[in-house]
Amino acid sequence: MANPTLPKNAPFGPEDIDFLNKLVGRSTPMQRSWLSGFLAGLDAAQGLGGVQAAAAPVAAAKPRVPMTILYGSESGNAEALAFKAKKVASKFSVDAKVVDMADADLAQIAKVKNLAVYISTWGEGDPPQRAVDFYKALMADDAPRFDGVRYAVLALGDTAYVNFCETGRRIDARLEALGGIRVVDRIELDLDYQKGAQAWTDGMLAKFQPADGGTATVVHVDFKASAAEGDDLEEPVYTSENPCEAEVSALVNLNGTGSTRETYHVEFAFDAPEFTYEPGAAIGVLPENDPALAADLAAAVGLGTDAGLVAKLARQFDITTLSRGTVDAFAKLTGRKDVAALLEGDALARFSADRQLVDLFETYRETLTAEQLLKLLRPLPGRLYSVASSLKAHPGEAHLLVGAVRWASHGRQRKGVASTFLGERRKSGDKVRIYVKPNRHFGLPANGDTPIIMIGAGTGVAPYRGFIEDRVETGAKGQSWLFFGERNFTNDFLYQLEWQDHLASGALTRIDVAFSRDQPEKIYVQHRLWERRDEIRGWIADGAHLYVCGDEKGMAKDVDGTLARILADGGDDAAGLAKLKDLTKSGRYQRDVY
Amino acid sequence: MSDTRSKNESIKEKSRLLRGSIAEGLAHVETGAIDEDDTQLLKFHGSYMQDDRDVRGERAKKKLEKAFSFMIRLRLAGGNLTPEQWLKLDDIAGTYANGTLRLTTRATFQYHGVIKSNLKRTMQAINAACIDTIAACGDVNRNVMSAAHPYLSKAHKSAEELAKKISDHLLPRTGAYHEIWLDGEQVVTSEGKSQPESEPIYGTHYLPRKFKTVVAVPPDNDVDIFAHCLGFIAIVSKGDVVGWNVTVGGGMGMTHGETDTFPRTADLMGFCTPEQAVDVAEKVVTVQRDWGNREVRKNARLKYTIETHGVDAFRAEVEKRLGYKLGAPRPFKFERTGDRIGWAQGHDKKWHLTLYVENGRVKDTSSRKLRTALREIAATGGVDFVVTSNQNLVIANVAAKQKAKIEAVLAGHGVEIATSSAMRRNAMACVALPTCGLALAESERYLPSLITKFEDILDAAGLRDDEIIVRMTGCPNGCARPYLAEIGFVGRAPGLYNLYLGAAFDGTRLNKLYAQDVDEARILKLLEPLLKRYAKERHDGERFGDFVIRAGVIKATTAGNTFHADLALAAE
Repeated sequence: MANPTLPKNAPFGPEDIDFLNKLVGRSTPMQRSWLSGFLAGLDAAQGLGGVQAAAAPVAAAKPRVPMTILYGSESGNAEALAFKAKKVASKFSVDAKVVDMADADLAQIAKVKNLAVYISTWGEGDPPQRAVDFYKALMADDAPRFDGVRYAVLALGDTAYVNFCETGRRIDARLEALGGIRVVDRIELDLDYQKGAQAWTDGMLAKFQPADGGTATVVHVDFKASAAEGDDLEEPVYTSENPCEAEVSALVNLNGTGSTRETYHVEFAFDAPEFTYEPGAAIGVLPENDPALAADLAAAVGLGTDAGLVAKLARQFDITTLSRGTVDAFAKLTGRKDVAALLEGDALARFSADRQLVDLFETYRETLTAEQLLKLLRPLPGRLYSVASSLKAHPGEAHLLVGAVRWASHGRQRKGVASTFLGERRKSGDKVRIYVKPNRHFGLPANGDTPIIMIGAGTGVAPYRGFIEDRVETGAKGQSWLFFGERNFTNDFLYQLEWQDHLASGALTRIDVAFSRDQPEKIYVQHRLWERRDEIRGWIADGAHLYVCGDEKGMAKDVDGTLARILADGGDDAAGLAKLKDLTKSGRYQRDVY
Repeated sequence: MSDTRSKNESIKEKSRLLRGSIAEGLAHVETGAIDEDDTQLLKFHGSYMQDDRDVRGERAKKKLEKAFSFMIRLRLAGGNLTPEQWLKLDDIAGTYANGTLRLTTRATFQYHGVIKSNLKRTMQAINAACIDTIAACGDVNRNVMSAAHPYLSKAHKSAEELAKKISDHLLPRTGAYHEIWLDGEQVVTSEGKSQPESEPIYGTHYLPRKFKTVVAVPPDNDVDIFAHCLGFIAIVSKGDVVGWNVTVGGGMGMTHGETDTFPRTADLMGFCTPEQAVDVAEKVVTVQRDWGNREVRKNARLKYTIETHGVDAFRAEVEKRLGYKLGAPRPFKFERTGDRIGWAQGHDKKWHLTLYVENGRVKDTSSRKLRTALREIAATGGVDFVVTSNQNLVIANVAAKQKAKIEAVLAGHGVEIATSSAMRRNAMACVALPTCGLALAESERYLPSLITKFEDILDAAGLRDDEIIVRMTGCPNGCARPYLAEIGFVGRAPGLYNLYLGAAFDGTRLNKLYAQDVDEARILKLLEPLLKRYAKERHDGERFGDFVIRAGVIKATTAGNTFHADLALAAE
């Protein structure tokens, strides 16, 4: 088709005609359809009505395709992508509705025509917690058939884990097995998923759009849509792609001398009014690697003298994660059979246990060029921490509680990238790039009178500091009860003086503590919950919201079980679990676990 | 009318017989502390609230309160323990305290570093060893100590029995202790009586200040009888105790810069029969209860009551309450203070090993595993343990054939029986930093290294095997009885001490200030020439404390009220 050109007598200036020719010239049929609809509806939407009969072609803009975008999200990434997909769907004549697996009814989902799944994998190949029930039902023998359901799966994961994107893989295979029709191949994305996800979504929607979507129809453009969609996710201004440069304004190890812990209270100050967050949100930190490790890594491949490269490695690349993809690429690059052998069976799982990239290079010595090395690496991802402050109490600041990660393995002292970046390699006054990750599933009740029970161990206490600070600022009158656990009372009571102040002022109603190593028997928060079970039932009866934050395996799982037992109130465990699920469904039981 | 009494008097008065709000305070889980007034009452229960002063500076910026913990002191009248008790007490040290047992200058144990959440369980564990902590501290008659070699003669056995009788008789009768710590359970006392809810001896205000009682058996003055409020000296005839000389009005504590406070050696008040002794103790306590100063706490101890009223008036009042006269003191002779380190055989042919324990701290270090060694010895059984008044330990009642085995266990864990110099074996330091709230300077953590420096001087002067009594405290309160040391150090500020010289080796005469605010360099500079002179110029058998007086270095302190007089400080 020849390039269309606007006639010279079109009601535009020569420059505009030139510009429009360029734009229209490279547009796709779909884009032109959309533009037609947009222009036709524009004046009507603005109430001008000066242009004649613009509505007629709009009515002819059908057919449109319905689509269900189903997501299962742990940290909110899959959720954000799902809502983003919904936003762009209308451009493709696709009417999308977004459903959280946590709320989804499997039988209903099995009946939809078009299904896009955005699913993340958590930990060692598990589905996100709130998606567990849906996932189990889908995998169960009595799962409904998906005959004729056209579907596509976007899988998020982290190549640092062996079972990368496992949940996405399984769901994809399961939908096919149940009779679904895969319209677009599954994509598996690592932590730097943004661009890949956008491209896949566009391509996927194009495949789902109506067969005649390419003809010169006019697409209906709903001008009220963006305002009307209440459940849309608002994307924060500051993201991992567009971070905010903040200054470290305070940095202190909260653990007393002699503690077995190392937990940093980090305060960031920023001059950025758009940097906003609610208590319960996460703050992302774009860290840098330990320069010593970057130097070791470069040296291991014979590039130790390249200072520029070492600096680049420290700042921009993930130099710790030892993933299958990297080993594969390294084996191909070097042609080494012994490296390739790592990819067979469980050899890699055995080798990579407690090892990092530097161990691969030090074990299988090869000299690489800088370009070859960088090609093996993924970008350095950001790290998320639950925010420990209320923006209302600390305007222009965000506080984090960061547990330093350190361990020794295979003759090397290892350091958590972000935690030691903050705790050890930053000092007051340094700049750090941070961003916001809202959490729709962990936050204070809208009603300030609602009682809250906050359960957290270790750094899991962080969001509650924000909660209480926020309630002080808003004058919320609701009762609050904190259950805090750590190892030793004397040195590990995070924010002890602040809790004492909050208790004295009444901002915090009650506190119970569990210090596991102060006495011969281990006491954890779940033991304290059980001791207080009668009162907890009373609080729940009074409408209390429950929160759990902290380590899943170390705490949250046991807290779940204990809460179920408390709710069972002498009845069987299943009854307690059902009650706990009801609380979850109604948003009264919220978890932020990792 | 305004209340001119000291603050502690109203705390006691409102306490409902020592209850206060201790129980409520234990339930406040957000703090490791208890209410300030309750800390005063807690002492009566045998515990002091303390905090780790080494880390005070960092705590607030870490958003942590002070590193509070509790010292728990046992009531161990007579100082004796079975091996089973030893094992239980050792377990407690490892489970709830800082992994050490601290033998004290008053012949008992204390634990350090017990946090509030473990306080009650620790008290219960102690109770399970048939020991309690009530009245180990506080304004009451505290732990009663007796001469530490109870098996050396029948007199020692009598001394130990009297110590126990007095301790039990003068116990507070309040139910508060059992209520708070033992959930109302009755502790097994040697009297085996239940506790009525009144204080027939003490009344609701207890004593004006702490009260310390000891029982001595000449010729050893290991209990330092003249440093205590009330003392009984065994008068022995044909191996049996026929009665006791009674001393009153000794005491160590004073306040820097306040000359109306001073250490004082006790006066001989009279003689009583064995049957009268407990009654005499009770009446001395009640006179002090009624006559003691309840307005100025630093002048509230019995020594000031005696100073104010005179020993004659005091005796007259005691006799009035007794309903009979005390006899005239009988002759006696003390030869020494301190302990006789090493093996000794008793009248029943059993052996007793007095073990030097540096600063009384039973602990394991990498090279010297004293705690483990004592555990092993206790686990083997067949012996008893006696805590001495000088922070040392007697492994008592050892059969002759067991001696070698005990020596082997000790040697196997790097524990020497006769360690280093005679000065070190006679040295005592109080706990001081980091746990003691009163300390102005280091003591326990510093004295050993200072002694090491002295040892070079002693070696050069040929004095390594000469017993010279050195004592150090971190504050002027005097827990290690520094004013009865031939060389006494009392902390003034970090690294600075007052140096006292001239006390008698047998514990009958106080020392006197020789130099003020001296640091280590100056301490060594002052003492080196004196020790060298002593080595050269001493008379046969002359003690260092006597020599410095004869040589004109220092004036003799003839009574407590002249302690601050006749100073002739060393030239700068």
